[in-house]
Amino acid sequence: MKYVPDKDILLFRSCLVSVEYPGVEASTKFVFDKLGVDYAISEKQTCCTGLGHYSDVFNQIDTSAIGARNFRIARDIGRPNLVMMCATCYAINKKSVKLLNRKDELRNHINELFDENGLSHLKYEKDDLKPSENIFHVVDILYAKRDEIGKHIKYDLSDYTIATHHGCHYCKVHYEDTIGGVRDPNVMDELIKECGCTTIGWYDHKRATCGTGFRQRYSNPDLSFTATADKMNAIADEDVDILVHLCPNCHIQFDRYQYLISEREGRSFRAIHLNIAQFIALAMGGDLDKVIGAKAHTVPIDSVVKDLKEVKK
Amino acid sequence: MSIQQKINDSPIEFAVQIINDVKNSKDEGVLKCVQCGMCTSTCPAARHSDYNPREIIERVLDGDLSIIEDDSLWDCFYCYTCHSVCPAGNSVCEVNQILKQIAVYKGIGYDKLYEYLGFADSYFTAAIGAIPEIFFTDIDRDVPGWWDFRQHLDEIRSELELDPPLMPPKDVIEEVSKILTITGFKDKIERIRSAEEESK
Amino acid sequence: MRDDLKVGVFLCECGGNISDIVDLDKVREELDVEFIGQFENLCSLNGRKIIRDAIFDHDLDRVVVAACSPISHEKTFQDYVKPLNPYLMDMANIREQCSWVHSDSERATRKAITLINASIEKVKQSDAVDPIYCQTPDEVAIIGGGIAGMNAALSLAKQGTKVTLIEQSPSIGGHMAKIGKVFSPVKIAEECGMCLLNPILNELVWNENIEVLTNTKVIEAERRAGTYNLILEKSPRYIDTEKCIACGKCAEACEVEVPNDWNDNLSMRKAIYRPFGQSYPEAYVIDMDNCSKCSNCVKACSMKAIRLRGKSERIPLQVGSIIVATGHKLFDMEKRPEYGYARYDDVITQSELGRITGVNGPTKGKLLKSNGEVPKRVVMIQCVGSRDEKPDGHKYCSKICCTVALKNANIIKHKYPDTDVLICYTDVRTPGMFEKYYKHTQENEVRFLRGRPGEVVKKGDNYIVRTEDTLKGEFVEIEADMVVLSTAMEPSEGTEEIAEILNIGTTEDGFIKESHPKIKPVATDVQGIFVCGTAHEPKDITDSIMQATAAAAKVNEYNYGGVEIEPFIAEIDNDRCNLCGECIERCKYKSMSIQNDEIYIDPMSCTGCGKCLVGCKQRAITVNGNIDEKIMATIKGALSKKRDGERMILVFLDNIGYTAADNIGVNRLSYPESIHIIKVISVNRVRPRHIKYALENGADGVFIGEFPGDLMYDEVERKIQRAKNRLQELGENPERITFSKVYIPYFSGLARKFNEFDAKIAELDDET
Repeated sequence: MKYVPDKDILLFRSCLVSVEYPGVEASTKFVFDKLGVDYAISEKQTCCTGLGHYSDVFNQIDTSAIGARNFRIARDIGRPNLVMMCATCYAINKKSVKLLNRKDELRNHINELFDENGLSHLKYEKDDLKPSENIFHVVDILYAKRDEIGKHIKYDLSDYTIATHHGCHYCKVHYEDTIGGVRDPNVMDELIKECGCTTIGWYDHKRATCGTGFRQRYSNPDLSFTATADKMNAIADEDVDILVHLCPNCHIQFDRYQYLISEREGRSFRAIHLNIAQFIALAMGGDLDKVIGAKAHTVPIDSVVKDLKEVKK
Repeated sequence: MSIQQKINDSPIEFAVQIINDVKNSKDEGVLKCVQCGMCTSTCPAARHSDYNPREIIERVLDGDLSIIEDDSLWDCFYCYTCHSVCPAGNSVCEVNQILKQIAVYKGIGYDKLYEYLGFADSYFTAAIGAIPEIFFTDIDRDVPGWWDFRQHLDEIRSELELDPPLMPPKDVIEEVSKILTITGFKDKIERIRSAEEESK
Repeated sequence: MRDDLKVGVFLCECGGNISDIVDLDKVREELDVEFIGQFENLCSLNGRKIIRDAIFDHDLDRVVVAACSPISHEKTFQDYVKPLNPYLMDMANIREQCSWVHSDSERATRKAITLINASIEKVKQSDAVDPIYCQTPDEVAIIGGGIAGMNAALSLAKQGTKVTLIEQSPSIGGHMAKIGKVFSPVKIAEECGMCLLNPILNELVWNENIEVLTNTKVIEAERRAGTYNLILEKSPRYIDTEKCIACGKCAEACEVEVPNDWNDNLSMRKAIYRPFGQSYPEAYVIDMDNCSKCSNCVKACSMKAIRLRGKSERIPLQVGSIIVATGHKLFDMEKRPEYGYARYDDVITQSELGRITGVNGPTKGKLLKSNGEVPKRVVMIQCVGSRDEKPDGHKYCSKICCTVALKNANIIKHKYPDTDVLICYTDVRTPGMFEKYYKHTQENEVRFLRGRPGEVVKKGDNYIVRTEDTLKGEFVEIEADMVVLSTAMEPSEGTEEIAEILNIGTTEDGFIKESHPKIKPVATDVQGIFVCGTAHEPKDITDSIMQATAAAAKVNEYNYGGVEIEPFIAEIDNDRCNLCGECIERCKYKSMSIQNDEIYIDPMSCTGCGKCLVGCKQRAITVNGNIDEKIMATIKGALSKKRDGERMILVFLDNIGYTAADNIGVNRLSYPESIHIIKVISVNRVRPRHIKYALENGADGVFIGEFPGDLMYDEVERKIQRAKNRLQELGENPERITFSKVYIPYFSGLARKFNEFDAKIAELDDET
């Protein structure tokens, strides 16, 4: 098991979480508080650039310079452990740390630009952060604390049929660091087990992309939604009630577009979509409006989740 | 069609250029490709379009520079599946991104980026990443209730007791704008914008 | 005067291996010696002539050969310097420890010059001495009772050598026994594997020179005086093999059924069982982990052969040499879950297909799916776990899987011509005569698709294999009702264990590493230990047998030729010795004893470490070879032309550490040019005054490595600590000295330590 911290954490704000599923942030905080994880949020930290980076508008130097600034902020407040709610933030930041450490030319170039323009306080020195020791996703932290999840569980969700969708940018970009590996990703299946539930495990296209494909969703919707339909059909074949996510962009693709894809496929899809933090927060008794943020969801959470029964202690 | 390779042709240079790109994390991975096709076997774009990741590497190794003008490049999902399974230690996903940056550098593909300049603008002026407003009409058409939800975002956030607010402080925005100016980002964005708006 | 000695230096280009990196013209300019020669391959016979002629023509007293590692060619060049005494030659290792680990030509050239200068100074301190010849015991231990171990045993036994064949499972026979059919490229046909194996097995069982120990493992090994003292652990069989007649009544009576591992768990067996029909010893065995202790078998056994209360037994075994034939295992399919092996019944491995099509297998040779039907289409996926650099995969080609797939495809086609067989390949590797077998397979209507599948899923009753047909450039989904995975060969657990117990070198993939792939393909890096079969690398049965017989021949060369020992060992002046016994007490290697009222020193076990020297009040002991002076001269030589700002780290390693350092070069890893390795006969011979001199005269750091299995390890560690303390008292930074564990297999760790120590020293230099 790789090293995972539970303190000195900067909970890295995600643009998509903030404006699309703010309940993911509230749920993460709720679960972290229950598990005694020491974290803070900084208003100085800015978005990872991921959406722009993967629509090819941002080049590596732009992204890594923004990254260097965020890494400096994390170190300045004594929270060098960046923990991401979004898979793309995770991939982008980890890659920037790797490149800034390894590619002297890139680092020196960015530092020179900072020096020449009065931004010397933002300079990044080699190995200021380590890709495997400072950059994490929320699921990493939860997995390291998994033994403590069980004792906070209030509701029994085990009657639902649950499947997981592991975001590509958590699993595949830095596969050497992925808990549970990339070939049959299962870190969320393990976390759900700690909530007293079982998942369906493998299903067809389990490891496939959500279909967002960054520009594909907006500029190439046919391609995008055809890929999503592969997965949605496979999930419907397994009669899944809850699909659990770890990335807000996948979350959008499934939750926001489920009705549209339903029409395209001529098949009614009924699964609801929860982030893993929302799922655990729900099982721990988090309020639908005050913690889970149900109002932000397009497929109503209460279309599936209702009359929760408390676990027998 | 027959292809001639002249004695002074050096097809490998294209691959070497990609290897030396800052984005490349796979050392000499491109050169180690054996065209096994595992990338294509697992690629969602290959499944549903003419995109073929194996063929991209084949053309790179042939020194076929025309690939940067090939529209199919833009069908990649950036899902990194090829990157995560390639038995030879290559990453077509990264090579694709590098090829696109080479294209943009040469003024190719501006039309593909134009719609996404809204993201650059919001980052530059507000230090926030956001879905470009140009797509809002489509989203509103495709996602029932989305516009209404967006109107109530602040209420939902305050019910969740989320702080700090969405908008970063002024000094942060200034610092970020400065960074994006000195990296050449701002100039590039304006170049793309004016070129595209002129051609319309 | 030693300074007046005429030294000749011979530079080897090593066919570009050295000269492509090291600028030998520059080297020649910088050296100040009587004669400098250069040749493209000094180890060749022409090289011998060049060296010999120069010795005569220039009247050379000493020779330095700057070439590869002394581990590779010291013996060769000791021979080439005749008529000079072999110990008046020294080798500067500018290949494994220079051109193979550095890429910057200018700095590598500087370092080569330094290494050669160190050798020149050292060789001036050398005196003529004669090697000592020793004879080792003839007995041989062969570890692993598969086709390789069996053939090696039989070959040696037939040549009159006593062999103990050690097998950890209840029967000898190995993988070949369960393969079913084997292929023959010449006959272009499949033949019965067991029919070929059985005569060998019978011959082996009846040979009086062979003792077979099954259920037995080597758990400890120690080498002394050319003799290996092995401790074997024999697990109980719970059956008296002398009494058991293998009638099988016990198994009929047994109430416990468990999956039959010999059938790849495709059928069931009892808790009391015989591994397979022709297994040897010809006796049943109890699988105690699964036995319910009902004692039905005891009642059923008319021979009273069952002993439920068995204990494992430790057996000491003394041998002169060892053949490692511990074999391979197959890739664990859990590591490639996308192919669905664990999820789907009819996604199987080639090994399982071999059992299914074997007449002694679970279906008596019928090709059936788990539902009892004959498959309509079998898709085979090649390179599963091989040629795959992703985590848990293997970068190498497993070599046999292409032919295995062809064989099994042909077997299917012979019996079931209506079953479609499609092989998904990246390259079909059928070198030599096997190409004819490939053509034969195509004639049999087996189909081939060039593409590496991404995943296997189940849709309805059938599987879908998703792949690209790379020749068409199209993504395809192929329906199949049976999928067969050609899994990689990897080192068996036994291979990994024995490498550790015997401290023999392994490759980065965990196979036993040969001493040299061309000139010593069956020797390991430890004298007297040889390797054959798939413990060495993936290979087929034919190659395993050839290598086994080659290993047997090498063992006999060793047995009959004796062992030559370097004469740098302790010697007693009997006139001075008063038999106080202090040296016997002090010697960690137990090489000293009293025989016929004199101290006897066993030349095979004495390492020349010099510990006895210090304790001898009578000053009756000397160690041959001017060791102290040689170390000092080497240090002086290395530091003599140090430039300002050049970082210089001296590394002292004995034979084990030096071999590990060579492995860094062999595997083309790298470390900084500041690292200069000095080979010493024993690390204990590096004295505080050597270290002190080095640090005072230009060395920036001193690195001492020792194998923790060396009996002097603790002693050396304490000594280095004292040296560090002393350094601190003198106001120097003790971190300039470091002590480190070294292991032959863990060369990458040594490279990392070199890099770290260099960085540390650079930091200290920056501070001062």
